[in-house]
Amino acid sequence: MNGASLTTWDKVRQPLQRRLSGEAAALIYRMGLVVLIALVLAVLSDSFSTSSNLLNVLRQASLIFLLAAGLTLVIISGGFDLSIAVNLTLSACLAAGVMKAGGPPLLGAGVALLCGTCVGLLNGLAVTALRMPPFLATYGTLWILQGLAFHYMGGNEIFGFPPEFRALGTGFFLGIPIPVYLMVAVLAICTVLTQGVNYGRELYAIGANPVAARLSGIPVRRRQLSVYVLSGLSAGIASVVYLARVNAADSGIGEPLLLPAIAAVLIGGTSLFGGVGSVFRTIIGALILALVINGMNLLNVHSTWQPLVVGVVLLAAVLLDLLGGHRRERIG
Amino acid sequence: MATNENPKGGGDPGPLLELRGITKRFPGVVALDDVSLSIHRGEIHMLLGENGAGKSSLIKVLYGAYRADAGEFRHQGKVIRIDSPADAKALGIAVIFQEFSLVPFLNIAQNIYLGREPRGRLPGLIDHARMHADARAVLQSLGLSYDTHALAGDLGVAQQQMVEIAKALSQNARILVMDEPTAAISDRESEALFTVIRQLREKGVAIVYISHRMKEVFELGDRITVLRDGRCVTSMEAAQATPEQMIRSMIGRQVNALFQRKGRFTPGDVALEVSGLHTSTGVSGVDLHVRAGEIVGLSGLVGAGRTEVARAVFGADPIASGKVTIFGHEVKGEPDSVVALGVGLIPENRKAEGLALGRSVQDNLLISSLWKLFPKGWYNAREAMRRVGALVEKLRISPPDPLRPARVLSGGNQQKIVIGKWLNAGCRLFIFDEPTRGIDVGAKMEVFSLIEGLAEQGAGILLISSELQEIVHACDRAYVMRGGRISGELAHDELSEQNILRLAI
Amino acid sequence: MNTTTLTVYRRSRPLPSVVAICVAMIVGAALLVKGFLSGGNLVNIGLQASILMMLAMPMTLVIMSEGLDLSAGALLSLCSVILAQALLSGLSIPLALCLSLLTGLIFGLANGVLVANLGLPPFVVTLGTFGVAQGAALVLTDGNAVAGFGPELARLYGASLLGIPVPVVLALLVWLATHVLLYHTRFGTYVFAIGGNRDALTLAGIRSRFYHVGIYVFAGLVVGFAALLLTGRMNSAHPTGAIGMEFDAIAAVVLGGTSFEKGDGWLLGTVMGVLTISILRNALNLLGVESSLQMVSIGLLVLAVILIDSWNKARKESST
Repeated sequence: MNGASLTTWDKVRQPLQRRLSGEAAALIYRMGLVVLIALVLAVLSDSFSTSSNLLNVLRQASLIFLLAAGLTLVIISGGFDLSIAVNLTLSACLAAGVMKAGGPPLLGAGVALLCGTCVGLLNGLAVTALRMPPFLATYGTLWILQGLAFHYMGGNEIFGFPPEFRALGTGFFLGIPIPVYLMVAVLAICTVLTQGVNYGRELYAIGANPVAARLSGIPVRRRQLSVYVLSGLSAGIASVVYLARVNAADSGIGEPLLLPAIAAVLIGGTSLFGGVGSVFRTIIGALILALVINGMNLLNVHSTWQPLVVGVVLLAAVLLDLLGGHRRERIG
Repeated sequence: MATNENPKGGGDPGPLLELRGITKRFPGVVALDDVSLSIHRGEIHMLLGENGAGKSSLIKVLYGAYRADAGEFRHQGKVIRIDSPADAKALGIAVIFQEFSLVPFLNIAQNIYLGREPRGRLPGLIDHARMHADARAVLQSLGLSYDTHALAGDLGVAQQQMVEIAKALSQNARILVMDEPTAAISDRESEALFTVIRQLREKGVAIVYISHRMKEVFELGDRITVLRDGRCVTSMEAAQATPEQMIRSMIGRQVNALFQRKGRFTPGDVALEVSGLHTSTGVSGVDLHVRAGEIVGLSGLVGAGRTEVARAVFGADPIASGKVTIFGHEVKGEPDSVVALGVGLIPENRKAEGLALGRSVQDNLLISSLWKLFPKGWYNAREAMRRVGALVEKLRISPPDPLRPARVLSGGNQQKIVIGKWLNAGCRLFIFDEPTRGIDVGAKMEVFSLIEGLAEQGAGILLISSELQEIVHACDRAYVMRGGRISGELAHDELSEQNILRLAI
Repeated sequence: MNTTTLTVYRRSRPLPSVVAICVAMIVGAALLVKGFLSGGNLVNIGLQASILMMLAMPMTLVIMSEGLDLSAGALLSLCSVILAQALLSGLSIPLALCLSLLTGLIFGLANGVLVANLGLPPFVVTLGTFGVAQGAALVLTDGNAVAGFGPELARLYGASLLGIPVPVVLALLVWLATHVLLYHTRFGTYVFAIGGNRDALTLAGIRSRFYHVGIYVFAGLVVGFAALLLTGRMNSAHPTGAIGMEFDAIAAVVLGGTSFEKGDGWLLGTVMGVLTISILRNALNLLGVESSLQMVSIGLLVLAVILIDSWNKARKESST
């Protein structure tokens, strides 16, 4: 590097450090919230700090995260996916059916992933080819899938899967639950996708200003289609983990996970308006949510309160997002 | 300066509204500089000027959207202030904008009386019969027989304009301001509009009419005011003016050219070839070509179709018929395929279409060249910063911090980013759409140096501009558009403001 | 002079597809489904449709204003629970109804303020209030149904006025009220403007936010009123019983031709959409199709209508 570039590099490095603290500040504030909630719970309940409870929290967080990871990508690119929870339901039910009919665990997992991906493709086509607004398209998919899941299960429950399969959800490796490894793996892949490759930078650009992105040469529709496919795949992965841990499937398993997943993304700090956020933030959001749910359980708050609390938390997160001031540019 | 003679003779009650010394400043530019003119009852007052002359600023001051920094208003001799749209409304000033304020799925009567619906028998209900009767009466007084149950969204542009006029009239507008009313309508519809305007004049309404078109200026106008660079250059009765006089007033600037070309470069291969281009956005048969190393201008008035041509060439709008080839490859489809052929577009509206304001300077600078810089897809942050650093330095972007959001930069610097994002993308054809609009003089010079530098390196440049100076001094040759077609091509030695205007109007 | 500018006639609009679909549905069901035309069955359809009609009327206004109300079903359950508990604790029907209306009002106000004043996206806001309403209903009832109050409400539900069942009468009343509101008051006119060209309202000096909130408040109130029917039908209230009804309501509105942009709305279309969906469900029931597949078929029907209408629009635009 010649002298001029070195100077530029220096000129650039200081604000980088300054800027990092801007981004880091948001993360640190939320991680602080995690620590705070954990401390409060530790004080309020003796059983909080036990290793089994903490592992439980981690497992719950990883399930929420796996479901919300793909959603985060969709939201970053300016879209939305209401169907992720029902996608999980349908994928899990189909996988359960396959394994109950004697299929090997690998096939079951494969079916779940395939189902999730196909649903994602359906959503993506509805948004890019049919030009439906994302919330409407995924809302419609939600109900169609829910109907299909109801029909397939016929009101029954399927349970009892092979132990090799269950290990995915309940097993340990080096003392850490396997879902956590999955969580870290998905986090790593998503982080690479969003920060380390061109694709991710294009997603942010589309979310920030889709018109300018198109006029900058980004193939917007292709990217949007792919991101819904990823969201579907993410739901498929989550369905495998769910099935493995709970060891049962019925047509209502996904529904209670929708609000926590959305709340996780928003609490983490990814903006609904697109162009801002990261999957790492969603992990923090998922942790916060898992702690809140865990706390309610420990403090013997009746389970009927939980949907209410999550609803309130979601609204609070949306309000916080608004205060953050990340508005999508109003075009025209 | 303005004369106070009433062209109709008889007792002259004086001007209805007078502007004296109105000045409006923005950071870096003076939009209105000591403008004085008077608006009379029953008179059609034509307002002429090129883009950027200050016409829209004047309208905004008139209806209270801008507050003048200096100067005063006099209404019937009395000094008044116009600080808000409510003030303007109270004075009877109504403006017909280019984007109409009609609700598409409400009918004509509902639109005219929006917010002032007549009350029915029961509280809260609307008296439809009266509303429609009143609406019909207003339309009748303009000589229009519209079915007031027709939905506003079903009307053509000319008809919507009539409804807007009726709306203003029903609010007892005494001064009606119309901004390029014939821009989007046919000649036949214009005739009907003129009839209505003349009727309004008979009623004593003062009409301020902004237009580019000499024909209608002299057909309709009683008085003409010409604005140039924010100043009122001349204001006189139409009967005493000639079109040549008006044109000279509009364009006669000091001849110290701001930008001089270093030299011209030998044109190479044909970079862009457009033949028989028709689009549904208003292009009706355009042929042009640009060679590598050439700076070709595309001039014309607003609405002539230049941006539409650029968008069609770039793949942003579909091509209805005709052919566009770039370095021999035909353009079909979306902008990403066109960019892959080596084309860059610097759009007219840089904030909405050229930048992601919330993203950093760095992200904006790299967005179009990601795959050129990192062909395998792996984004290398270090390499990215190095490239960005080089760009920031070369383009003299200030402040030089690439991680600040693009939003905080000045217009000139933002424009440099929009240009800069193509510099690493291997573009061999650049389309600039009004690149120096809204930026300060220093930045303008830098932009032109950049453009010339690109041509020197062998790129073909299509420069769309309404600023005649720019075309004359920066281009090798130019096309002029009018009404969706090319009205003429000017070779280098034919480039002059007069010639361009003559072809554009 | 030129007549095309001086004279304007009301343009005849092509008949929206819902009319054809509704008629086709009625005819098809009458011909193909045994027992469809029996008096008892028709009454059944009317009863089923009344609640849906009540939900769909204000939903039309919400969707015209470029919004969406995902919380309607959960709110209906909550109001129904509150109504039932009020009756259980001895309050008279009118008083209990007031409590239900109040609940609807509060949630409607919350939705409206978050959407109109704070500018948050409606689908997320109503998703949040959906969660809160559902949660509140669960908390209030511990997850169980509420029953055991007197038979007055059920009697009211089963009564008839001039031969028309009371629920149908009430639903028609709501339709009438919405019709008057939308087409004969300033409020209704501004609903068109909020969706079609909000700037026109601001330029006319109208506080559009006030009316925007009003749309959601109206929705909440009507939901509170509809709780009367829901509780009366089963003579009990279940905390999550009505969840999913908002889907039918949204489907009915979209079927009826109201679009998500430009403030285009047709109340009669929504009514036909309600009829279509109710008849479809009834026919599928009679044919023994389970409710899950009914859901799927409604979704596909709505999709088909969206496709047909957008294809029609594209065809019309390219020919002008």
